[in-house]
Amino acid sequence: MSTYAAPLKDMQFVIEELVGLADITAMPVCSEVTADLVEAVLGEAGKFAAEVLDPLNRIGDRQGAQLANGKVTPPAGFAAAYKQFTEAGWNSLSGPTDFGGQGLPHIVAMAVQEMWNSANMAFCLCPMLTSGVIEALKLRGSPEQKKLFMGKLVTGEWSGTMNLTEPQAGSDLSAVRTQARPEGDHFRIKGTKIFITWGEHDMSQNIVHLVLARTPDAPEGVKGISLFIVPKFALNADGSPGGRNDVKCVSIEHKMGIHASPTCVMAYGEGEGAIGYMIGAENRGLETMFIMMNHARLGVGLEGVALAERAYQHALDYARTRVQGRAIGQKSGDRVTIINHPDVRRMLLTMKSQVEAMRALAYTASAALDKAHHHPDEAERKRNQAYVDLLIPIVKGWCTEQSIDVASTGMQIHGGMGFIEETGAAQYLRDARITAIYEGTTGIQAADLVGRKIGYEKGATAAVVIAQMRATAKALAGHAHADIAAQHAAFVRAVDALAAATQWVVDTFPKDPNAVAAVSVPYLKLWGIVAGGWLMARAAGIASVKLAAGGDPEFCKTKIATARFYIEHILPQAPALAEEVTGGAASVLAMSDAQF
Amino acid sequence: MKVLVGVKRVVDPNVKVRVKADGSGVETANIKMAINPFCEIAVEQAVRMKEAGIVTEILVVTVGLPQCQETLRTAMAMGADRGILVETDVDVQPLAVAKVMKAIIAKENPQLVIMGKQAVDNDCNQTGQMVAALMGWPQATHISKVEPAGDHAEVTREVDGGLETLTIKLPAVVTADLRLNEPRYVTLPNIMKAKKKPLEVIKPDALGVDVTPRLTTLKVVEPAKRGSGVKLADVAELVNKLKNEAKVI
Amino acid sequence: MAILVIAEHDNKQLKTGTTNTIAAAAKLGADISVLVAGHQCAEAAAAAGKVPGVTKVLVADAAHYVVPLAENMAALVVSIADKFTHILAPATGFGKNFMPRVAALLDVAQISDISGIESADTFVRPIYAGNVLATVQSKDKIKVITVRITAFDPSTAAAGTAGSENVAVVADSGLTQFKGHELTKSARPELSAARVIVSGGRGMGSGENFKILEALADKLGAAVGASRAAVDSGFVTNDYQVGQTGKIVAPELYIAVGISGAIQHLAGMKDSKVIVAINKDAEAPIFSVANYWLVEDLFKAVPELTAAL
Repeated sequence: MSTYAAPLKDMQFVIEELVGLADITAMPVCSEVTADLVEAVLGEAGKFAAEVLDPLNRIGDRQGAQLANGKVTPPAGFAAAYKQFTEAGWNSLSGPTDFGGQGLPHIVAMAVQEMWNSANMAFCLCPMLTSGVIEALKLRGSPEQKKLFMGKLVTGEWSGTMNLTEPQAGSDLSAVRTQARPEGDHFRIKGTKIFITWGEHDMSQNIVHLVLARTPDAPEGVKGISLFIVPKFALNADGSPGGRNDVKCVSIEHKMGIHASPTCVMAYGEGEGAIGYMIGAENRGLETMFIMMNHARLGVGLEGVALAERAYQHALDYARTRVQGRAIGQKSGDRVTIINHPDVRRMLLTMKSQVEAMRALAYTASAALDKAHHHPDEAERKRNQAYVDLLIPIVKGWCTEQSIDVASTGMQIHGGMGFIEETGAAQYLRDARITAIYEGTTGIQAADLVGRKIGYEKGATAAVVIAQMRATAKALAGHAHADIAAQHAAFVRAVDALAAATQWVVDTFPKDPNAVAAVSVPYLKLWGIVAGGWLMARAAGIASVKLAAGGDPEFCKTKIATARFYIEHILPQAPALAEEVTGGAASVLAMSDAQF
Repeated sequence: MKVLVGVKRVVDPNVKVRVKADGSGVETANIKMAINPFCEIAVEQAVRMKEAGIVTEILVVTVGLPQCQETLRTAMAMGADRGILVETDVDVQPLAVAKVMKAIIAKENPQLVIMGKQAVDNDCNQTGQMVAALMGWPQATHISKVEPAGDHAEVTREVDGGLETLTIKLPAVVTADLRLNEPRYVTLPNIMKAKKKPLEVIKPDALGVDVTPRLTTLKVVEPAKRGSGVKLADVAELVNKLKNEAKVI
Repeated sequence: MAILVIAEHDNKQLKTGTTNTIAAAAKLGADISVLVAGHQCAEAAAAAGKVPGVTKVLVADAAHYVVPLAENMAALVVSIADKFTHILAPATGFGKNFMPRVAALLDVAQISDISGIESADTFVRPIYAGNVLATVQSKDKIKVITVRITAFDPSTAAAGTAGSENVAVVADSGLTQFKGHELTKSARPELSAARVIVSGGRGMGSGENFKILEALADKLGAAVGASRAAVDSGFVTNDYQVGQTGKIVAPELYIAVGISGAIQHLAGMKDSKVIVAINKDAEAPIFSVANYWLVEDLFKAVPELTAAL
């Protein structure tokens, strides 16, 4: 069984060199953040992830969360780990400083959360949901609500949940039916919510549910949904948890993966109605949710990166240990570890190169988010917000889909042993599968990409990014390092493919949105692959400069070689995907329902 | 009571070390480094004693490269109050470290010095004893317990075959063994606070200490790999091999 | 060349490490004095005189040497050090405690835990937990050395007849007071900390049969482990399991009994220094990682082994 080791070198390289930590720390709000501090934070987080969370991952998978008499018990060790986690202050990493948070930039939280997710994604979902509630309070909470809830959520003494989905309202939230009836200074909530992650448990002293519901006179559809805070324990006058609110977990789902994370069916108001407080303006609940969703989607994309990394480490460990067969062409002599077999090496590199490309993309989006929030210059904030908006569906859609592929390749490296639960390779594949589904399926991400992020703005932001890619391409041509120069032609072909497909989307969207929708997922994938290639090419360039300047030779050479593999093995998919995008819509739409 | 803790930055014990191609030493460039595990236990002990109200100030000291500041920051994130780095790029050996410590003790007057029993890189297990010798202080090495009481301390040492209890006069030097405590995980707020704690950097010359190495490393090699195993005829042969060849029983 | 070896003893007998250390000293030169510091330690001094290679026994007999406190030992050794070029002690808890103190008082380096001697000033010592061997040279006037006792075999030559003489006692430092000893209880060690592990697999047949492993383990001061197959078969509880999904161990000696050697098990113990496998299946994969193996019925071999130890 492999043990997790945080990929600190790559994380630091991406943060410091590729996305440019200096740009972040130059912003006044981040003045206390230094490279040393980031290194110390990542180092300690890596230790905690490896020593506390990772060993619980398999136990969590095997035991799962258990429901009995309305109480959910997490797997053995989880409650103690949660206590350690919150006492060590990790829950407060990016929380607002006025409420006891450390206020570290998103990019730092990103790397740390990658570690939590790699080590134990099911565990990590609990603090992740809490940070969603903190975000909602930050955006729309009244001063009174902030005072009541924020401090405890920042420390993690209380945890949070998101209650959107109902049995009839999944991807389409306009169908939400949960009722909120006003009563004095609060509301009474009645309805059933499903898929509520960590909806019930006893690791925290109170659970703050964010619930989408309709007030009695609300208009139909998305414009009639409001957002409510419903605490598990109603609050006493002094803000401390009092009696049990009218909300309970009536069942938990039996899932393919993330077994340790209880996915609850929550019943609100089986009695007189659960006490809830409206957050933000009436009927504007979905709007708030959508702002938060940016963070959440980036977070789920990161889960993809994290699981892919963990699956890679696991497969690498196995490939280095498992002895099977002789080297090709050798009839006798010692049998070799399977890492010596060329096809296994190819699989490992497919995993490694994509993990690094995914990390580079996700962290790039995260750094842009920091700048969009905190840059002193408004034009810069706007520019970065547009960049982030474009990248988020790509990070969410591509990194999660690739994580499934990467985890599957990890299993393949194990051969038959991988299909057996004992080796642990299967868990990463099972856990990864949900990431492409929740917080908006890949199809939803692709619709967001071709619609709001490309179609409505006629590809303006996309054009800026593609121009940056072309600038990188120029730098590749005639690069002093032969391995990098060799990547030029393939990279240019890929960028051309993305540009052509984007032009087609921009042209076709106004007149035939169905055609664009039919090929939106391959278009999203094309974006992911080319953007990943772009960042890998940039990384190789930076690595060659560092190498010449006496930087860590092993890391720099490996980065250049990994980028080369990506460009030669992954990037060639780009022209094929572009062909599918520009020429494949008709065949999708041509079939009648009956023909299926 | 003021406590001085000596710490060392070493190759992370989870990293498998490699010998440099020219055999001149072990590859340490670009390798993950960490606080020596026994030093971490020493720091933890000091912090616990401070939390218990026995200790009023914890000074943490290290000797070595500028990067050793990270090690001091780690110790300060655990709870040490301030740090001193005696900066040098010389391969400092235990005797030199002990002399540096002596010079700092003379300035700082701690009542107790806590160090790790040994560093997991060179495995010397010398420095604490040497500091005690140079100061003319009592020592207790490999301790699993220390309880200061007035002008002395009760200590329990891990010795071959069991435990030994001693009463030592203060000031004294003690060195930490594995069972003394289990170091805490550093908390995030304390990492942030550690950045603001005072860290002084001085040179050995300023202390009047000569840190020139006394031992010269002529070469380093990896031990011979395990050969392929052998099938034995009977139990008698097995016992013989285990006793005389493998020497494990 | 004059060598001083500090004897580890209990006032009656020499501890085994002392003879190994004398054997190491013999590789440096022929003039070997042994210091026996103790209280009413004539018997131990006489024993030292009989060790092959010893030319003289120095005796320091005083009440405050009844246990070897570092402060007193160091002061005593330093008081006679100027007559010697090399001072050696075993790298046991005994030697490790006071020898660095001796070195510091003499203003010389200590060479810790040597496993080889290249010349009078050049030694080999393991570093990084034995993963690397360093060859080091000392130019100090006196070499203060601790010796890895497993690296030097005691001489098998005829017993010596070295004479003894008393050396002046140094007054008790008074810095440290000995309170007492507490010997370790004989319970078996923890799996992950054990120096020796005896592990059983499905071949054990039943939980009852693990008793023969326990008997062997008690002889060796070993922990008892098991393969997943044995745990799954209900022979022993989960906390016994060694392997990928159980505990990862690397003891000095790992004895695998009735374990076929599934890859998951090998992953948990393959870093053990010496691996012994006992299995009646001559094709068992466990043999591929074993240093020594016996193709035998474990119910015969294990009791035999226990009896032979």
